[in-house]
Amino acid sequence: MTAVIPVMILLPFLGALVIGLTPARRAEVFRPIAVLASGGTAAVAAYVLTQFESGEAGYQFVVDRTWIADLGISMHFGIDGISLFLVLMTAGIFPIAILGAKPHHDPKPYYAWLLILQAGSIGVFCALDLVMFFVFFEIVLVPMYFLIGMWGHGRRTYAATKFFLYTMAGSALMLVGIFALALLQSNATGDPLTFDIVTITDNLAVSTTAGRWIFVALAIAFAVKVPLFPLHTWLPDAHTEAPTAGSVILAAVMLKLGTYGFLRLGIEMLPEASVWAAPVLMTLGVIGLTYGAIAATMQKDLKRLVAYSSVAHLGFIILGMFSLTTQGIEGGVLIMVNHGITTGALFLLVGMIYERRHTRLISELSGLQKVAPVMAAVFTTVMLASVGLPGLNGFPGEFLALLGAFSGARWWGVVAVTGVILAALYLLWAYQRTFHGPLTAENASMKDMTGSEFAVMVPLLALIVFLGIYPTPLLERMEPSVEAVIVHVEESVPGFISPDPGLERRAVGDHGDGAEEGEG
Amino acid sequence: MRVEMFTFLLAGLICLGGALGVVLFRNTVHNALSLVATLFGVAVLFIAQEAYFLAAVQVIVYAGAIVILFLFVIMLLGVDRADQMGVDPIVGQRTAAVVFGVAILGLSLVALLSGPEVVTGTPATTAALSSDIPDVNQIGEALFTDYVFAFEITAVLLTIAVVGAVVLARRSDGPVIDEDEFDGTALDALALEEPSDVGDPDQDTADGADPGSGADETDPDDLEEASR
Amino acid sequence: MIIQVPPTVPVVPEQLDPSAVPLAVPEIVWSAVAPALVLMIGGILLLTVVSLVRKPLPSWFHATWTVATATAAICATVPLWQRVQDNGASSEMAGTVGLDGFSLFVTGVICVSVILAALLLEGYLRREDLVGPEWYVLMLLSASGGVVMASANDLIVLFLGLEILSVAVYVLAAMHSRRTSSQEAGLKYFVLGAFSSAFLLYGIALTYGATGSTNLAGIQTFLADNVLVDNGLLLAGLAFMLVGFGFKVAAVPFHMWAPDVYQGAPTPVSAYMAAGVKAAGFAGLLRVFVTTFGPTYREEWMPMVAALAVLSLVVGSVMAIIQTNVKRMLAYSSISHAGFILLGVAAASDAGTSAALFYLLVYTFMVAGSFGVVTLIGRKGDGRHSLEDYRGLSRARPGLALVFTVFLLAQSGIPLTGGFLAKFYVIGAIVDEGLYALAAVAMLTAVISAFLYLRVIVAMYFAGPAGAEEGSEEPAEFAGPPVRIPAAAGLALGLALVGTLALGIVPGPATEVTRDATAELTVGN
Repeated sequence: MTAVIPVMILLPFLGALVIGLTPARRAEVFRPIAVLASGGTAAVAAYVLTQFESGEAGYQFVVDRTWIADLGISMHFGIDGISLFLVLMTAGIFPIAILGAKPHHDPKPYYAWLLILQAGSIGVFCALDLVMFFVFFEIVLVPMYFLIGMWGHGRRTYAATKFFLYTMAGSALMLVGIFALALLQSNATGDPLTFDIVTITDNLAVSTTAGRWIFVALAIAFAVKVPLFPLHTWLPDAHTEAPTAGSVILAAVMLKLGTYGFLRLGIEMLPEASVWAAPVLMTLGVIGLTYGAIAATMQKDLKRLVAYSSVAHLGFIILGMFSLTTQGIEGGVLIMVNHGITTGALFLLVGMIYERRHTRLISELSGLQKVAPVMAAVFTTVMLASVGLPGLNGFPGEFLALLGAFSGARWWGVVAVTGVILAALYLLWAYQRTFHGPLTAENASMKDMTGSEFAVMVPLLALIVFLGIYPTPLLERMEPSVEAVIVHVEESVPGFISPDPGLERRAVGDHGDGAEEGEG
Repeated sequence: MRVEMFTFLLAGLICLGGALGVVLFRNTVHNALSLVATLFGVAVLFIAQEAYFLAAVQVIVYAGAIVILFLFVIMLLGVDRADQMGVDPIVGQRTAAVVFGVAILGLSLVALLSGPEVVTGTPATTAALSSDIPDVNQIGEALFTDYVFAFEITAVLLTIAVVGAVVLARRSDGPVIDEDEFDGTALDALALEEPSDVGDPDQDTADGADPGSGADETDPDDLEEASR
Repeated sequence: MIIQVPPTVPVVPEQLDPSAVPLAVPEIVWSAVAPALVLMIGGILLLTVVSLVRKPLPSWFHATWTVATATAAICATVPLWQRVQDNGASSEMAGTVGLDGFSLFVTGVICVSVILAALLLEGYLRREDLVGPEWYVLMLLSASGGVVMASANDLIVLFLGLEILSVAVYVLAAMHSRRTSSQEAGLKYFVLGAFSSAFLLYGIALTYGATGSTNLAGIQTFLADNVLVDNGLLLAGLAFMLVGFGFKVAAVPFHMWAPDVYQGAPTPVSAYMAAGVKAAGFAGLLRVFVTTFGPTYREEWMPMVAALAVLSLVVGSVMAIIQTNVKRMLAYSSISHAGFILLGVAAASDAGTSAALFYLLVYTFMVAGSFGVVTLIGRKGDGRHSLEDYRGLSRARPGLALVFTVFLLAQSGIPLTGGFLAKFYVIGAIVDEGLYALAAVAMLTAVISAFLYLRVIVAMYFAGPAGAEEGSEEPAEFAGPPVRIPAAAGLALGLALVGTLALGIVPGPATEVTRDATAELTVGN
């Protein structure tokens, strides 16, 4: 029971090890092994969901073992309402990505890297020690680097290197920040050195200035990963050149590492600095979501369009979270999960089109609906979910995030709404150009989805519909944790009252631009 | 200017001049002889510090033995390049030789004859060598008490020097294999054709330096290497 | 110039007639120098044995002997380590040899580098048709010099250790007699090395002049008891010594020799130079600067060391990424690693020293492994070191490519490898001293140098065939003769791999040791 987190981290890793030890000529076994290992992890994650005590704000399934004693680094893992669904999403999307796309060559390293990536990503979401967090945060770079570099398209070397260096540059400062935080904390409290996130969060003792500097150091790392405007330039390249599974994972999981970091190590651990920086981050979020949407509108490449739509969605998440309201953060976490599902599905679909047509240029695709009606239907559903159509899973998150933004920072919210409109514009337009219109000769021979491809999409479609209609299971599990975060922020930051209309008071109150009020 | 200052400056000048000569002269014999000048200058400095024994060792071992061996080797290998002995390569060479010779002699005499009071003007930071005990004894005692370990491990250094000299002097047993990695100038600059019998005299040299020179044992190796 | 002339310094006894009293010969504690002795005797015995035996011994014999000797030296440190932990540090041989955790740890690191280099050398010599136990003899003797240097409690002994170490390596660098670049490397290394030795010696002389002692404990006590009114002489001495050490550890701006020498020297020797020689150089630097002058003159030398560190980091990483020769790349990257270790020195704290030691240990595995792969890829002639020669390696030799990838990623500081924790400890040590800017510079240069490691990985894994359009899925053909992996080299790579990964995953035992491996200066008996 308590060992579920180590199992979720080690199972894919063991799968990778088994693949690594199997001779390369037995090419047919790698895929089953990978499916088994990642699917097993997903099963464990599902078990975690059933065992999760909803209504609890604290961490569950906690594991705490010393790693490096003299620095107070421990292998401390736990899951709370916020990380629960991210872990679930991570565990679930990998088998789908593995089933949904095949590598063109070298299956052995391909599946091994994917499994290592899964282990690392789950590690980030479960880590409750700053160093463990950093370790997993960094380690996921390597498999993704190889996935893009070896199995990618076009300018894959460039994209892979850019991705690696951007992210590494971001986390370079993060390491300094982490160390400064732990040391200053230890100096201030007189306790022995510890990197424990829970301990530091509960009893933050660094000075305001130091806290802000540390926040900046961490925020740069997360902003690169998210990616926030203007640090987003690696993302379109990486997404476009990555193989289908790589894009799916990149969008569904890797980008969430940044937003999760903002939430866990930013808002929760350094509340004062988060309140201080919230206007800036919300502004960047809004810029990101409008910029991403506008840029997406102008893309010629279908995959690049989806990549820019990610920039827009991630801007939404940041906006919601840094409105520092329960709804905003819940909305942010919801978008994290739902964006993983919808964008993952979009990338799978784009990948399927590319496999058939060997082009992703919108101008060369036309009238696909006539030859591939099933695919068109699936694409429509996923696309509408991504737009945020009520009844599909994109809606609740965006709605909550906007609600949070409106109660916290109205004008940011107003601008953000235009992003929603633009999202409808670029996705619908892209859909129209690709699937409607005259059927050209090259496209006429395109085959529709196969049964197995559709089978891969089924769980995603089911989730898209289910979570759109009934997001309550998610909300009720994450709500205690999110409220605890807001309460913690209010307690830690003197003078800061969350503009949250619902929190505790349950009365609709308008505190204006609360984030700015908290600045003092 | 005080005497010791004068001595120091002049001896230092000779040292530096000699060292420059080692590097700059094109004739190997001249190089070796310049080395003698440097070594003599150092000997004078030793004398100025009242380290008579060291000065003697410096002259006898370095100038007397090592450089002479160098000269032997150089001569044996043949200084074939046209040496016009009739014409001075440098104008005033002979005069300069006389002047410097006399200067060194004079300096040595000055240093020797002027007592310790004159030579050591202000007290050194460190304790001065006591003149009550001969400096040979002092060196011996230092070598076998405080610096016994340093003295002993010098043997390893010398062994390495011998092995290294033998190894490097061995003629390579095959053609050069990386000519394509060079643009040619480097090849010319390096004298690839090393004389095969340089090793033995070097070995003797290194051994010969053993008894006298205690702590600063690097020079023999430096010289060996520099000489080729 | 100074207030007080130390009364304890003169070595001359009071007696007028020296023959009347027997010399106060210090007690010779052989066990205290056991590791160095094992290495020296091992080297000289090997030389003796091969000269006495009529038939040439098989090449594996030399390598085995060397590995056994180095292993024995490591074993010899164990009881001494226990002794130091139980009874505290001591100094022997009239106070010229310090016996403390620091010296023993560095001894271990140097011996590890000898083992790895000797294993690489075995196959290398056979491949290059070179014979000779001299390689191993010189390597063992050189290592003994490094050990002496690490345990030196006296500047003269330190200098002698450095010379023993260096002279042997000058020769080793030049020993590939058929490669001109090897001879060039040897000559270059020798000339610049001798130059730097002169600086060091001059610095020692000036320090002696200022403090009246060459004994480190003596200097420390003297400086603790006396305040120098005019410390120009001492500062000059410090500066010169720093230059000397800077040359040895290849810190910018004293790094000019390193790329040429690392590139030209036989590759296993480059491995030894990057690992063992660097470890010994840093041992000397730490002992002299941090331990001896740390308490009194930290304010003076710390900025100098910090400047060297930043320069090394920046220049090393920036120059590395424009190289196309992998050996040269590794040379520049080793310069930037030296910058990192120098940061540990600049912290001038116990944490800094431990961090530097841990870094040295990890770096030994990483760099020996990297040069090990380079040795194999160089193939006969030791000349295939261009980035082009790595193209397509992942298909020709997937295992070797993967191992090299691990070493490269470890060098760039990816977690779960020793390289990450090494950087982590150094960053911790300097952040602890409040030097945030240095930490930030260090991490950012680590990103720059990551680019260089990625270039090699790109060549091994991602590159298409030469001249092909980027993005083609055509795999690159590995050019040139096939890569052979001799058993000994395979063992060396395996050891280096295990070391690199183990130090990153279970660092506990190693960090406990580095924490206890503090340098202490004790006045001799």
